[in-house]
Amino acid sequence: MNRKEIALEVASILVKHLVPPPSEEVIEKIAAELILLVEKAGELEKPASRLAVCTVIGRNHSGIVHAFSEVLAENNVDIVDINQTIVHGNFAMMMVIDPTNSKVDFQSLKSLLKERGQRENVGVFLQYEDLMRELNRI
Amino acid sequence: MSYTRREILEVIRMSETEHFDVRTVTIGISLLDCSDPNPKICAQKIYSKISKYAHSLPEIVNEVADDLGIRVANKRIALTPLSLVATNPQPESYLEIAKEIDRCASDMGFDYVGGFSALVEAGFTAQETALIESIPSVLSQTIRVCSSINAGTTKLGLNFDAIAKVAKIIKDTAYLTRDKGSIGCAKFVVFANAVENNPFIAGAFHGVGNPEVLINVGLSGPGVVLDAIKRAGNCSIRELSEVIKRASYKVTRVGEIVGREVARRINVPFGIVDISLAPTPELGDSVGEVLMAMGIDTPGGTGTTAALALLTDAVKKGGVMATSAVGGLSGAFIPVSEDSAMIKAAASGDLSLEKLEAMTAVCSVGLDMVAIPGDTPYEIIAGFIADELSIGIINNKTTAVRVIPAYGKKAGEIVSFGGLLGDAPVQEIRTISPGRFISRGGQFPPPIISLRN
Repeated sequence: MNRKEIALEVASILVKHLVPPPSEEVIEKIAAELILLVEKAGELEKPASRLAVCTVIGRNHSGIVHAFSEVLAENNVDIVDINQTIVHGNFAMMMVIDPTNSKVDFQSLKSLLKERGQRENVGVFLQYEDLMRELNRI
Repeated sequence: MSYTRREILEVIRMSETEHFDVRTVTIGISLLDCSDPNPKICAQKIYSKISKYAHSLPEIVNEVADDLGIRVANKRIALTPLSLVATNPQPESYLEIAKEIDRCASDMGFDYVGGFSALVEAGFTAQETALIESIPSVLSQTIRVCSSINAGTTKLGLNFDAIAKVAKIIKDTAYLTRDKGSIGCAKFVVFANAVENNPFIAGAFHGVGNPEVLINVGLSGPGVVLDAIKRAGNCSIRELSEVIKRASYKVTRVGEIVGREVARRINVPFGIVDISLAPTPELGDSVGEVLMAMGIDTPGGTGTTAALALLTDAVKKGGVMATSAVGGLSGAFIPVSEDSAMIKAAASGDLSLEKLEAMTAVCSVGLDMVAIPGDTPYEIIAGFIADELSIGIINNKTTAVRVIPAYGKKAGEIVSFGGLLGDAPVQEIRTISPGRFISRGGQFPPPIISLRN
């Protein structure tokens, strides 16, 4: 049963016990208000999906994109966006990821990525998106 | 892409190559309910009050720092000025309390606690007299306790009796900590117009106007400003100001985010971001280097005061837009021993104490971490303090003195403190005596600008 159905059910229970039965107009109003209420509550319950940014900087070599997307895939982390560029001769890959459904917590994910970074001989940084979002925007 | 490459790489660059960190997350705690005539019980009350609010702070700060990918260098505690926490007014009482606070800070993993303080701008209570007398033993027998005295305000004037006392305390502390380069003096500062929400040590205390408990944040950031100036190249003064403003905005923004998040997780109100540029002895994290990048060959040369004025002003202008509340000292710190370029300039003699004093008229604090010869008479130290605090009360700004008369050292030698406190070259101080002026004692009346109503 979804939230809207629950709201309608609650409204019907109310109506059942009200004597004399209210007019159809009143029933509709009760149902509408209840729906509004549960929808609002639902929004508050929903965990805000907090994105993170994983940045890889170092010498470019084959398999580098694969290496890190593999770690992310293994841990059920969704890549929302990916971009790469060359900065001062260095390869830089930036991935916006959604760790909401990650199998491991954020700190462990960071260590896994850093470990992989050591093997691939590149620097890896993982952080929530807050600073990227707030630093340049008023 | 939801963020541009520039936005992402900028954050990485700030923390990785520009030495940026949040210098301190400071929790202010009111001790006004900890009074007790028995100092032992008073100390116990203080211990439990501090641990109640502060015990989880270090861990939470580390979590937030990790999540955001930014370093937070220190976690600190600011307490209600202890002279307001009434107990048996004997120096021994305050020493006992200070030792308990030191133990508490060590148990919970804080490096410094501020608030062993007295506000005596217009005179002394019995508590304040006792606390002040205890300062040299406190600073020599504790590690983490920092002390401050407010000896003047624009509203009430300048307490010359306090200045004379403070000068003697500084000498005594230098002697008692002579084995460690007179380091006790690095934990003591005398203020005019002390602020009640300063998160920085040694002058932090939790003013009585504040709520029960509060989180304040102090920034670092000279490296970020330095890099921005270098990248801007040869631009006009107005453009220079804009470049600094933009860099300051970004640095402050980080402080705001860190402070809010820590406050939310610990469930304590968020106070202010202190947007001061605080240097460290590390290369590239120096306010002196910023002045050099602005175009002064060595800090201390003519033009230094103007450059510092421009810097301080632009830092403030950039910072205010980035946070809901700017507070504390907010400007640019120029602690000599904690800033590589300033150390060099002071050691070579290019940066004299007189020039430093002039610079403090436009920077945020004052004569900070300056070492002078150990045999300097107390009257001269008192004169030195009186000059600096006068700048503060007349210009309606905070000024302060943290001076180390390094015991047994002569001008030209170096005192090493290690860590963030760095190395201080012992600087020459004028030996003309202000003794007859200082010994008059009494109160410098409030200046005319205090009459604002």
